[in-house]
Amino acid sequence: MHKLIVNEWIKIFKRPGTFVMIGLLILGVIATGVLTKIYSDKSQTVNHQWEQQVKQEIKQYQTQINELPATAVNVKKDLERKVAINQYRLDHKIPPDKGTTGWTFINDSSALISFAGLFTIIIAAGIVASEFGWGTVKLLLIRPIKRYKILLSKYMTVILFDLFMLAILFVSAAILGFALFGTGDGNNVHLAYSNGNVVEQNMFLYLIKTYLLSSIDVIMITTMAFMISAVFRNSSMAVGLSIFLLLMGGTITSLIASRYDWAKYILFANTDLIQYFDGVPLVKGMTVGFSVIMLLIYFFVFQLLAFRVFTKRDVAA
Amino acid sequence: MSSPVVELKKVTKVIKGKKIIDDLSFTIEEGEVFGFLGPNGAGKTTTIRMMVGLMGITSGEILICGKSVEKEFEEAIGNIGGIVENPELYKFLTGYQNLMQYARMVKGVSKQKVEEVVEFVGLKDRIHDKVKTYSLGMRQRLGLAQSLLHDPKVMILDEPTNGLDPAGIREIRDHLKKLTKEKGMSVIVSSHLLSEMEMMCDRIAIIQNGKLIDIQKVHDAQESKQKYFFEVDMKNIAVLKNRGIAYEKVDNGIAIEMEKEEVPNMIQLLIEKGIRIFEVKPIAKSLEDRFLEVTTQGEKLHA
Repeated sequence: MHKLIVNEWIKIFKRPGTFVMIGLLILGVIATGVLTKIYSDKSQTVNHQWEQQVKQEIKQYQTQINELPATAVNVKKDLERKVAINQYRLDHKIPPDKGTTGWTFINDSSALISFAGLFTIIIAAGIVASEFGWGTVKLLLIRPIKRYKILLSKYMTVILFDLFMLAILFVSAAILGFALFGTGDGNNVHLAYSNGNVVEQNMFLYLIKTYLLSSIDVIMITTMAFMISAVFRNSSMAVGLSIFLLLMGGTITSLIASRYDWAKYILFANTDLIQYFDGVPLVKGMTVGFSVIMLLIYFFVFQLLAFRVFTKRDVAA
Repeated sequence: MSSPVVELKKVTKVIKGKKIIDDLSFTIEEGEVFGFLGPNGAGKTTTIRMMVGLMGITSGEILICGKSVEKEFEEAIGNIGGIVENPELYKFLTGYQNLMQYARMVKGVSKQKVEEVVEFVGLKDRIHDKVKTYSLGMRQRLGLAQSLLHDPKVMILDEPTNGLDPAGIREIRDHLKKLTKEKGMSVIVSSHLLSEMEMMCDRIAIIQNGKLIDIQKVHDAQESKQKYFFEVDMKNIAVLKNRGIAYEKVDNGIAIEMEKEEVPNMIQLLIEKGIRIFEVKPIAKSLEDRFLEVTTQGEKLHA
């Protein structure tokens, strides 16, 4: 099996497009770093009376909450979270982050995870479909290896590639972040808001967790792209549909969620597990267990479709 | 000869309610070059794809060295090396990297073996160039190399000479001959080009509309009596009639059926009778004639 994965890995890395992707990802980190540097240099007016400012913010948020219409549930919840965290800062005398540090930069860079995900989706969409497109699938499938093994090796390669892109993102963000912004003042605690309580977390563990949890939607959509690629043998369709859902899925789902409860069964309502550790669930009554089960169901449906169709298909083209 | 290398038993393939292959049965022996002939759309490629496991079999069974392609896929396919239509290779890899891809997929293919195969197909000078720079002939050779890595017992080639120039076709033919002679491989070749099949194959199966119409040995006809064409001056030709020799008039000459041994005598006779001879050649009753004979039954033909 590992030899099949080596084969797939070679096929990915012998194409110049892959290096363009890696280059773009690193470029994205650098751009974020440079922009943050320029921006933070101007706004970094260190304020000594942070307590007063935080109190003021709380007041501001609370008036906003009262003014908001009853339908804007999500905005309200987010404001409540901010109020709670600020209150915690006052109570425990933890000043808000003074500008950007290497740690916060790594955290900010997690926004680029969907960028890394985009590239993984492109790889996943192509890994089966291009074999059909190139016609190489014929020579690939007349080896003494069962088809499900070939497909499995391809899926594992995709997941490895995703982890590889995440590692590149994390490492390049860390190097650039610490080089540009330093390590901060050692007060590296993350304040998380969960079920109405504020919790302190170790920054490094928090970052690793953020990266992995943020990748869940990427991995789910990657799996979907892989399924489309295996079922329809069409990489443009797999790329198009998956990227559309990656970008719009969350928005559409929260739109539906504001009106209907069944939105919780939609894939994208469950991909964001961070909402349970640090935030408010999209639909009232959703739990981590529920989301994990939903994710597993989606995952197995995608895999079942991909493997059924791929192993039974007549290869005619 | 020992047990058959490839055996098709009542193989039927139905696609979307249409019978593409209908109850096809035949066997292929060791060391034999077996041709698979039929007009386009007759089901050659479908049959070959079922043999290599690219397509499912609706009913019936295909055995490779006694193993069922469907039930014991890995064991059966391990005996097969194949090219299905034009060999499509990874263009962004070099020839060598392509071969390594396939070498990794079978147990026990050493680097030495890869080199050996490269040498065999004569690609040594260009093997480290990217495949996109290869000519069609070179790709065909690389395709052949790919199918030889694991020393298969059977080679299955679907239209191996499609799009090749005469030199390329010749080359493929020579390679196949070498393989059957030196390694005792069986070869299955499909084509719609008759003359080519005639030169390559020991036996030829003709199929049409998914049905097996006939299996013939290629060299049957040449052993018995054959027609010879004599391009001669027609002036004194009536002399032959007096001697009781049956001939028929054709353009610029006559055709006579006889054994090969009699040809010199006939030439001598013609000279003695003052008939000038310009050319003598056997009229091989080519496979094409037979093919057309067999398949001309109100069907539109492709040749």
